[in-house]
Amino acid sequence: MSKSLMEWVDERIPVSDLIKSQATEYPTPKNLNYWWNFGSLALTVLIIMILTGLFLAMHYKPDAALAFDSVEHIMRDVNYGWLLRYLHANGATFFFIVIYIHILRGMYYGSYRAPREILWWLGIVIFFLMMGTAFMGYVLPWGQMSYWGAAVITNLMSAIPLVGPDLVTWIWGGFAVGDPTLNRFFVLHFLLPFVLFGAVFVHLWALHAVHSNNPVGIDVPHKDTIPFHPYYTIKDVYGVGVLLIVYLSFVFYAPNFFLEPDNYIPANPMQTPAHIVPEWYFLPFYAILRSIDFLGSFSKLAGVLAMGGSIAIWFLLPFLDRSPVRSFRYRPLSRRLFWIFFIDTLILGWVGYNPADATVLDGALPMITIGRTATFIYFGYFVLLWAITAFGIEKPNEVPKSI
Amino acid sequence: MAMEQVENRRDFLMLATGAVGAVGVAGAAWPFIQSWNPSADVLAQATTEVDVSSIAEGQMITVPWQGKPVFVLHRSAEQIKQAQESDGADLPDPAKDNDRVQKPEWLVLLAICTHLGCVPQGVGTGEFGGFLCPCHGSHYDTSGRIRKGPAPNNLEVPHYEFKGDSTLVIGKAAA
Amino acid sequence: MDFRKIATIAAMLLLLAPQVGMASSGGAPLPKADWTFKGVFGRFDPAALKRGAQVANEVCLGCHAIKYIKYDHLRSIGLTEAEVKAFAEAQGKNKKDRMLSAMSDADAKESFGVVPPDLSLMTKARKGYENYTYGILTGYLTEAETEMIDNATSDDALSDEEIKQIAAKLHLDAHNPDYVREVVRRIGAGDNFNRYFPGNFFAMPQPLTADAVEYADGTKTTLEQHSNDVVTFLAWAAEPSLEARKSLGIKVILYLILLTVMLFAVKRRVWAKLH
Repeated sequence: MSKSLMEWVDERIPVSDLIKSQATEYPTPKNLNYWWNFGSLALTVLIIMILTGLFLAMHYKPDAALAFDSVEHIMRDVNYGWLLRYLHANGATFFFIVIYIHILRGMYYGSYRAPREILWWLGIVIFFLMMGTAFMGYVLPWGQMSYWGAAVITNLMSAIPLVGPDLVTWIWGGFAVGDPTLNRFFVLHFLLPFVLFGAVFVHLWALHAVHSNNPVGIDVPHKDTIPFHPYYTIKDVYGVGVLLIVYLSFVFYAPNFFLEPDNYIPANPMQTPAHIVPEWYFLPFYAILRSIDFLGSFSKLAGVLAMGGSIAIWFLLPFLDRSPVRSFRYRPLSRRLFWIFFIDTLILGWVGYNPADATVLDGALPMITIGRTATFIYFGYFVLLWAITAFGIEKPNEVPKSI
Repeated sequence: MAMEQVENRRDFLMLATGAVGAVGVAGAAWPFIQSWNPSADVLAQATTEVDVSSIAEGQMITVPWQGKPVFVLHRSAEQIKQAQESDGADLPDPAKDNDRVQKPEWLVLLAICTHLGCVPQGVGTGEFGGFLCPCHGSHYDTSGRIRKGPAPNNLEVPHYEFKGDSTLVIGKAAA
Repeated sequence: MDFRKIATIAAMLLLLAPQVGMASSGGAPLPKADWTFKGVFGRFDPAALKRGAQVANEVCLGCHAIKYIKYDHLRSIGLTEAEVKAFAEAQGKNKKDRMLSAMSDADAKESFGVVPPDLSLMTKARKGYENYTYGILTGYLTEAETEMIDNATSDDALSDEEIKQIAAKLHLDAHNPDYVREVVRRIGAGDNFNRYFPGNFFAMPQPLTADAVEYADGTKTTLEQHSNDVVTFLAWAAEPSLEARKSLGIKVILYLILLTVMLFAVKRRVWAKLH
């Protein structure tokens, strides 16, 4: 009965074929390591974010006079409201942790190299969408950090020559961040995740067209692939279990660890908190923004461009990397550069967290100097990666013929 | 033989894991479902206190309780007599007037027609001296019992209690 | 470079990270009290909650509000119906009212120059959390310290020795005698000094002293005890779901560990076929 029903459906829309070719029997390299789990983990967190967000939106009020109270209403009165909100707030953090590992994995194993350029670019588009969504979501509780974060980030647009100030007024719907801003940010924060979901679908489509890269980085003949199900379904689900243990430990036992205390103070347009910081996942880029302060009246625009460029430059990676070998596993120089880049990004994050006028080593080393150096190294990575591969400076190790 | 045992053990392991996972998915749905149920602040409004000392005999007030209208009628001797004498009449939804009031002079009714949820009009608007629902012409008597028209049941009597002589508490306080 | 080296470098960075010099005074390091509600199994101390509610009601509400808490909510920390009623009536309120301040915003602004902040989320809204609130309540000058400063200033000029002594007592930077002198001058002028407040001076005069409130359960009424109790109460007010969260958390995490171990076993078996 069920078999004939499935046949009836398949004659009209070939669902079984699609599942077979794209999911169950989808050929996957047999040597993927655990770093390859993070794509499915990202999708898991996205689904959790959309579900919790949907239910939070049923209780939240996007009104400058009511927003803060409505979040506390969720925390105190709504059944399991505290759980939904902490899942959502910490979900943003874990979404970025997972995505950063996913991106770094792509960088390390050369997953951006031909023929996966479009797959890589789609990933960057998704990352931009994610940052926009996260930023607008952080505005919604309408605490002090929400408000001043929104003020600072929207003010970045004022750096754009000629139209900047008008553009900022347009984004605000007023002469400062206010009720109209909150209302439109709420609508966009609700909408963008679905756009993001669509982009993820296209990302997966592109992946299935060119198939997964693998740690060795060579093209895999069909005999070295295994069906996605059950091998990678079970491996992915196991990964989800591990992620949930870590993620929910924070939700239940340190739910405010990643949140700023100031955001439990209602937004006050008349007073800026003494030390404002963006959410941790924006810190490296924020540090780059602040590091460009030596160009006089051009600094502001340059800072904004450098910050945008620090991510946009990822688009160029497929062209910058000229090595005959994809995976950094067989590229000693690239590998060193990669780890310097990684540590440099951590340093940038730490610089971004500290006040701009802070110093280390008893005042001998101003934070701004560290920030500038780290910014220089950040962009230096891309230049050097190009240089050592374009001019044959790097001599790759021997790559195995098969996996 | 040994192979078979391994197979069996795997089947069991997979079944058990699947079952444990299914329990988790069901459990995860629970907070989402519960978040639609009345929140603590709504539950805190489960009761309404009414000062009935200023309602004259034969007069009626409508008070909101949990977002719904409640009639509080101070019945006159005439209205009480009318209601009690109808106990023996041919009622579509038989009930004794005595069972529908705590004190004969106070009639407390959830003012929602049992037909399709409209709010009936004040006392004296219908036949039998009671309430008329304007939507489809259901007539309720001075005990709130359905006497004529399409409604199937009597008007519901909400949970209430008197605190002293003048204070009426409608509804049950949340635990 | 292998992972061990990376990890070593990252760890060294973390060690280096906190040693950051700041331009402005951050206040003394906060006292670390032992809160019963910290940790995986931490729960509020019911007796402290009850006493703290009394302190909040009789002292804090004089100027501050705790607007997200209604008197009726106090039943959930173990107050009886009659106690809730008595608490509310002491403030001229009824049990369905919010715990609002006795003072209007306009009056407060006139007296202090600022409207005192709402306390509902205070223990979550400052760096240092509960320890910050506890620090503020206990960080004012003691009688002995006031006396010491009076003695030091009686001869009009502060000696280096006196500056050192004062700096040590008040957790000030002894290398910055000008700042110590400024602090002493402002204390003399009647400004409110608090060693834990970043910047040391603010609008709130010492709100709580020993014996401010009489406890029905006979607990001693020191400043530390009052502060401990009221901070416990404020921590509850900031997060009434804390206990529900922690008890649900244990079940969820244990379940997830079980499920993940099982998933790992299944994964191993499935992949065993390949090798």
